[in-house]
Amino acid sequence: MTEAYNILFTGALIVIGVLLLACLIRAIRGPRIADRVIAVNMMGTLIVISICILSFMMGEGWLVDIAMIYTMLSFLAVVLLTKVYMGIYREKRRQREEGQQDA
Amino acid sequence: MLDIIRFVISAALTLAGLFCLLSGVVGVYKFRYALSRVHAAALLDTVGILLMLLGVIVATGFTVASLKMLVVIAFLWLTSPVAGHLIGRLEVTINDELSRDADVLDQDYVEQEKVPETTTTPADDTQEEAQ
Repeated sequence: MTEAYNILFTGALIVIGVLLLACLIRAIRGPRIADRVIAVNMMGTLIVISICILSFMMGEGWLVDIAMIYTMLSFLAVVLLTKVYMGIYREKRRQREEGQQDA
Repeated sequence: MLDIIRFVISAALTLAGLFCLLSGVVGVYKFRYALSRVHAAALLDTVGILLMLLGVIVATGFTVASLKMLVVIAFLWLTSPVAGHLIGRLEVTINDELSRDADVLDQDYVEQEKVPETTTTPADDTQEEAQ
C-alpha cells in the first residue's frame, strides 16, 4: 500500500514541477506587471501543495508548519508587490505632471 | 480492504486536484488579458489546493499534521480573494488604456479617474509599456 501511495504522489509531484516551470515562464514572459504578480502567487500555491505532499511522503509532520508559513509569506509578497508597483506608478505620474507644468 | 478504499478516495481527490491545477495553468496561458488571467489563477488557489490537500489528508489520517493542512486551506481561502482584488486593482490603476484592452468597463469610474490620463503624449505611453 505504501508503494501505491508513493507512485501516486510521485506522479503528482512531477506534474506540479512541470506546472511550476510553466508558471515561471509566464512570470518571465508576462506582458504586464499584473501577469507577473499572478504567476508568483500561483507558484506559491503550487509550492505549498508540494511541501504538504513531501511531508506525507517523508513522514515528517513539521514540514506542514513550513507550508503554513509559506502561505502567509506568499500572501504578504502579493500585497507588498501590488503596493510597491502602485507607489512607483503614482510617483511616475506625479513627475510627468510636474514636467508638463514646467514645459 | 479499508486501506484500499482509503487509497481510492485519496487517489480520486488527488487526480481531481491535479486536473484543476492543470486547467488553471492552461487558463493562464489561454486567456487574452491580465484581468481574465486573475480568474484562471483563482481556480488554483481555491479548488486546486482544496482537492490536493484533501487527498493528502485522507492518506495521512487523523493527525495534527492533517489539522494543520486544514488550517492552510482555511488561510488560503481567506487570503486568495484579497490577493485577487489587489492584483485587479493594480492592473486597473496602472493601465492607462484600459478601454482598449478590456471589454466590460465601469463607465462612471472611467469618467472620474481616467479623463486626465488621456492628455498624456504618445511618447510617454510607449515608455510606460516598455517597462
